[in-house]
Amino acid sequence: MMSFIRPRWRKPAWTVFAGAAFAAAWVIRGGRDWWLWVSLVAIAAAGRAFAFYAWGGEDDDLAALAGSRADERQRLLSLRSRALAFNVTALAAFTGLTVAVAIRAGWWWPFAVVLGVTGLGYLCGLLAYGIAEEGPADDASPQHQAPSPLSG
Amino acid sequence: MRNRVREQRTQRGLSQAEVAAALGVSRQTVISIENGRYLPSLPLAFRIARLFGMPVEKMFDPDGEEAGR
Repeated sequence: MMSFIRPRWRKPAWTVFAGAAFAAAWVIRGGRDWWLWVSLVAIAAAGRAFAFYAWGGEDDDLAALAGSRADERQRLLSLRSRALAFNVTALAAFTGLTVAVAIRAGWWWPFAVVLGVTGLGYLCGLLAYGIAEEGPADDASPQHQAPSPLSG
Repeated sequence: MRNRVREQRTQRGLSQAEVAAALGVSRQTVISIENGRYLPSLPLAFRIARLFGMPVEKMFDPDGEEAGR
């Protein structure tokens, strides 16, 4: 999707896009100090985008991830970190939901939403990454009914 | 899993950066493979074996002790 953008510019571009969307939300929200919040969001997004770009030129694992030029080991590191983040998020959401229910708080539902989204994301991942692609066993047909040499 | 990446690299007088560039991975990944902290994928293992002109089963020994330990 982002292949038309040079690798080192991908994360800065995402940051600018997300910052623009968040700034637009403040503009739509309006109010007395909307320009202050838009300015803060713009400064934070620009700083983050610059940091990603500058960092992406360094020679280490995190820089390779920041510069969108990670190799297989670095991508695996990122994947494991994201899996850990997912687990921590789900655990925190479950804890929050449990506490909110126990004290009869009205703010239980954001935890339920986060828990539901993480669970749904996990199921989507299982479907997208091939859990449904298993075929029948190759000894299921009659022509493969010869006894295995391992079965004695 | 023992591997002979460091041995083969030093025999040929190559730096980790040169091997990394030839394999299309980072220098840090070559270091991790040499130290036995990272087991490469099958395609990368074959690329390593081809780079050093050795069969993959000679390059990586599943019965050997882990490198760097």
